[in-house]
Amino acid sequence: MTATRLRVDVQQRVSPGFRLDVRLEVGAETVVLFGPSGAGKTTTLNAVAGLVTPDEGEVLMDGRAFFRRRRPGLAVNLPARQRRVGYVFQQYLLFPHLTALDNVAYSLRGRKDARPRALALLDRMHLAHLAQRYPAQLSGGQQQRVAIARALASESPMLLLDEPFSALEAELRTRLQQELKELQRELGLVVLYVTHRLEDAFAIGDRLAVLREGRVEQIGRTEEVFRNPASQQVAEVMGIPNLFHARVVRSSSEGAVLDWDGLALAAPPHPAGAGAMVAAYIRPEEIRLLYPDRPVTPPVTHNQVAGRIVGGHFDAAFRTLRVRLPNGHEVEARFPTTSYLALQLEPGAEVYLSLRKEGLVVLGVPLPPLARQQGREPR
Amino acid sequence: MIWQPLLLSLQVTALAAALLFVGGLSLALLLARGRFPGRTLLETVVLLPLLLPPSVVGFYLLVALGRGSPLVEWLGVELLFTWPAAVIAATVVGLPLMVQTARAAIASVDPALEDAGRTLGSTEAGIFFRITLPLAWRGILAGLVLGAARAMGEFGATLMVAGNIPGRTQTMPLAIYDAVQGGQHALANQMVLVMTALALLSLWWVRRLERKAREARDRGSWAPSLGDGP
Repeated sequence: MTATRLRVDVQQRVSPGFRLDVRLEVGAETVVLFGPSGAGKTTTLNAVAGLVTPDEGEVLMDGRAFFRRRRPGLAVNLPARQRRVGYVFQQYLLFPHLTALDNVAYSLRGRKDARPRALALLDRMHLAHLAQRYPAQLSGGQQQRVAIARALASESPMLLLDEPFSALEAELRTRLQQELKELQRELGLVVLYVTHRLEDAFAIGDRLAVLREGRVEQIGRTEEVFRNPASQQVAEVMGIPNLFHARVVRSSSEGAVLDWDGLALAAPPHPAGAGAMVAAYIRPEEIRLLYPDRPVTPPVTHNQVAGRIVGGHFDAAFRTLRVRLPNGHEVEARFPTTSYLALQLEPGAEVYLSLRKEGLVVLGVPLPPLARQQGREPR
Repeated sequence: MIWQPLLLSLQVTALAAALLFVGGLSLALLLARGRFPGRTLLETVVLLPLLLPPSVVGFYLLVALGRGSPLVEWLGVELLFTWPAAVIAATVVGLPLMVQTARAAIASVDPALEDAGRTLGSTEAGIFFRITLPLAWRGILAGLVLGAARAMGEFGATLMVAGNIPGRTQTMPLAIYDAVQGGQHALANQMVLVMTALALLSLWWVRRLERKAREARDRGSWAPSLGDGP
């Protein structure tokens, strides 16, 4: 993370059952706010933009207080127009009575170069040819891009994006994410990017903040958070399959042995002592199938287990199998469709699996400093 | 004899419409977007003339405009039994229609669009003139036409506060009453026809505005509806 430019520390009782309590420090980078709907992602953006007023806390941008309210002390609450953050709304919110060009030029009113600037931004979004169209004459994806151009027009150092590319097809989404990334680097923007798609987080985020029930559960480099979820909650939010609870049987610097309801599993070293209950998961790609008639090679010697196929599906590139293990639980295994062609992989068939020791992740591991710097603090 | 009351009616209606536009639009905006204690009370008071007998409205206005009332003291002019009193009576009875219709039009504009304007640096006034008004103008105009039409037909309250002085405070509805009372049926017929035509014209215009507003909302756009669409 570069030097902090945006500091968010806000608390708000949004509804009787939902309290927002978000702390974030963002530099000139893209931080992805990731979490299920209702986690408080949009409310966080609104609090930064000045569209909702938190009960207390502060929002600082480059040392300037957008909002500050503590029990004692002065209150600051800049109106949204003075914060002027670029905001791309989830529902686009283009002005229906204005053309695409006039929408983009909205914040440039009174400037001589309003039209050429707006046109240049539309061009950047590959939409210059549709400048005179009204929003209703544009597709959802085109409207989204107009909304991005409009948010960029105000030349704010901060850009808030709420699911900005959700209406786009994959190819265009990838291209625009790339351009957004370039733009962020070029202009040194502070970008908060809300999404519920993990792919987006990997494509665009420098760091990933996992939100759940109004709190930042974990923040860190995207890869880091994905590899090392700080808690079972984070792992669940990130949609990691094959999550299970197990008891630590033995633990040493060589590795740990877990007991998953009767299935013994070798795991990488872990600080939890014998007898502790831990949450763990294994990524579906880390579960290998074994050929019964071939010798087992070193990477897959650990955790061999027989199971029965109960279902699965495949797409062009990958095949996913659901396999019931002897302990009664099911796991997902995933591999390229071109692998294991020699095996009988119909539902009901018996298969031999290896749950790779190195691929087994025990959660609750003390995280390396980088991923931890914004981790959950005890309150 | 038809011209004098007709001109006076038009004059009274035009001024009442101006007052309706400024006052009614402010009230409509306040009621559509404002969050304050007493909102329901204000709304009720504004709507009351719709249901009260004209004589009751007239009575209240007599009290408000009569000698010794704070308003008259402050203005320092006599209002009772002058044509401006007719303007006031006309405005009060037209207000409910204007406010109701304009408020609905303003409420139909997505407040999130106004939020978008705020993040783009617009002041509240800028948001009203650049977003809310352009999106709601048809409904606001429809309310104004309805209110003005109602103002033009005002009879009871006008009679009580402005009197029925031919050439000075006698508007069309009062002149029609006089004509019928005096047995001038031909004159009454002419005036009734003029008033009916004006009312029909107003209603036709209001319906047209409302239909266009609905079409625009359904399209989600003010774009030309045919031809150059994708």
